[in-house]
Amino acid sequence: MTKLLKFEGRDLRQQPTGAHKKAPKEPEPYIVGDRLKTAVNLAITLRRPLLLEGDPGCGKTCLAKAVAFELGLPFFRWNIQSISKAQDGQYVYDALGRLHDVQLQKGEKASRRDPSNPEDYCEMGVLGEAFQIKDCSSVLLIDEIDKAELDFPNDLLTVLDKPWRFQVKETGQSVEASPQHVPIVFITSNKEKGNLPDAFLRRCLYHYVEFPGSKEILKQIVDRHYQIEHLELPKAELQDAAIARFISVRTEGGLVKKPGTSEFLDWLKALQTFMGKPYSADKLIGADQTGNKLPYLEVLLKVQQDWRKFKPADDSI
Amino acid sequence: MTQFDAQDWITQLFLRLRQRGYPLGVDEYQAALQASEAGYAQDEAALLELAQILWCHSRSQQSQLVPIWQDLQREAQKQKPLQENLADKEEPSPLSEKPVDEVKPQQLDPEPLIREREALPKQEVSSLPVQAPLMLIERESILPLQNYFPLSRRSMVYGWRFLRRMVADGCKNVLDIPATIQVVTEQGYYLAPVYRRQQRNEARLLLLIDQNGSMMPFHRFARDLVETARGESPLQEDNVQIFYFHNVPASHVYQDLYLTSPVALKDVLGYCDRDTSVLIVSDAGATRGYRRQERIQNTTRFLRQLQKQTHLIAWLNPMPRPGWVGSSAEILSYLVPMFQMDRFGFSEAIDVMRGVAKPSGQEDED
Repeated sequence: MTKLLKFEGRDLRQQPTGAHKKAPKEPEPYIVGDRLKTAVNLAITLRRPLLLEGDPGCGKTCLAKAVAFELGLPFFRWNIQSISKAQDGQYVYDALGRLHDVQLQKGEKASRRDPSNPEDYCEMGVLGEAFQIKDCSSVLLIDEIDKAELDFPNDLLTVLDKPWRFQVKETGQSVEASPQHVPIVFITSNKEKGNLPDAFLRRCLYHYVEFPGSKEILKQIVDRHYQIEHLELPKAELQDAAIARFISVRTEGGLVKKPGTSEFLDWLKALQTFMGKPYSADKLIGADQTGNKLPYLEVLLKVQQDWRKFKPADDSI
Repeated sequence: MTQFDAQDWITQLFLRLRQRGYPLGVDEYQAALQASEAGYAQDEAALLELAQILWCHSRSQQSQLVPIWQDLQREAQKQKPLQENLADKEEPSPLSEKPVDEVKPQQLDPEPLIREREALPKQEVSSLPVQAPLMLIERESILPLQNYFPLSRRSMVYGWRFLRRMVADGCKNVLDIPATIQVVTEQGYYLAPVYRRQQRNEARLLLLIDQNGSMMPFHRFARDLVETARGESPLQEDNVQIFYFHNVPASHVYQDLYLTSPVALKDVLGYCDRDTSVLIVSDAGATRGYRRQERIQNTTRFLRQLQKQTHLIAWLNPMPRPGWVGSSAEILSYLVPMFQMDRFGFSEAIDVMRGVAKPSGQEDED
């Protein structure tokens, strides 16, 4: 019996010993709540994909990398596009290249690959690569699955389940994940194009990534980000003021598109470093009441309606 | 409670959720048992969390689970003192003596519970004389519209995908790899790649949508239908024509949903040919239970005109089928294939529109 992997959400600065060579080298600053930790560990135990939904910029995508880093596992990321097919993740077969090489050889020129060996022309996709790692599990992130065609999740389902295997049609080769080390799969979605199919959902574990609304957690997030990136932490007053203002903008503003954690971090960075010196914390707290406007709203507000709420109409910029 | 019996709770909660229509299978049940063995269901809070992660697939499902779970807890609380009382009075049966550990997860499948229920002594019921139900006032069926969500956008997109008539008449620029290789092997040398023509979807759709009045509650579905047909279907944009009408398509239909820019019906019909699919979206008077001779006659006249052009006509009625009874919808459903607006109804309507299913109106004539 292999030792069961367990994700703790520890604050690691360096790769754990014995990490796989394809594991992420850089630490991923991530604060994990208890519930999310349970969800991740359940996904590992039950060998089911974990479906993450939530507002944009709240850390759906970073989680997979953080897990891979802490456990020292190889990390694969598959960004889904509207033209992605489930098979692209498995393998791509270069039939034309093979035909080309046959012609080269007939003309008695050397080809890079051997056309008599069909396997030379098969290039593994992300899933294929993840399956081929036999000595440990890998972490596979399928990012923004809702962007793909309607049938995509269903096509994927058959591969991401027992027996974790697919066939390369052209070579007859069968690619199979080692039964002890099946990949840990994270899937993110933001329901851009409606719901995912029921059969797919049934198989997935589900977690909704909430925006970290409390001051303490935001502070932790700031701390960890700045430590890992080796940046100078903003003064405590500025941090507190920024956190308080940000939360108030987010909760009271009635915004159409609420800014997420990543926007907050950008804003804090702007407050700290833009214009050469840190923004005054008093001025930030006093904004609005004293007629001052919040600075660098460009970082936080991305929709015109939201923008109007915070800018007076006669402001000509 | 000395030991928290997670397996029993899991079984009960699973059955309860199945009743509530959660899409769960035996696999999901076993996964929960596996998780509880791995120590993810130490106490009630942990079990609730496990169920939320494993068995729910949206935030609303997760919040719906909480009251279901609380109900279950309350019932268990009520039963406990009863069982204790019984245990005091009676000899414990051999079954209850069995320690919990001996019960393996495989034995705990939902079947025994069902069997237990079946084994209950059947009550003797004597037959009562058959009697027509007494109805003093006319029955009014009230459809709770705020929860009425028969056809999702996803199902619409999915349905439209089948409405296609592929014709290869585009540019000849699609590389046919199998054919190229075939030619090379036949000739023994490679000359040129084989190209195929691009395929185009030639299916044409005429969407006629009843607007305002009794259709008011269903506007969102009509809007979704229009949006998906225009933007998220394989249909070419020029091949989708959408017109609106109120109650009955009269001499004019309208290009906009506010019914302000009229188009003569004969022009619209002129657009139709034998291969044009027509989808009519209207409640046909079923929402208010109307049965007006005039409306039926006018609609029939319109349908006859339309049927001269094409037979690929389907009618999507946003009211559920039982609501048609007695209204003009019931009569019209004999003239044209009418389907209720849910996933199956829509896919059947698509089948009629693509000429796969036989329009029911024709059967009588054959």
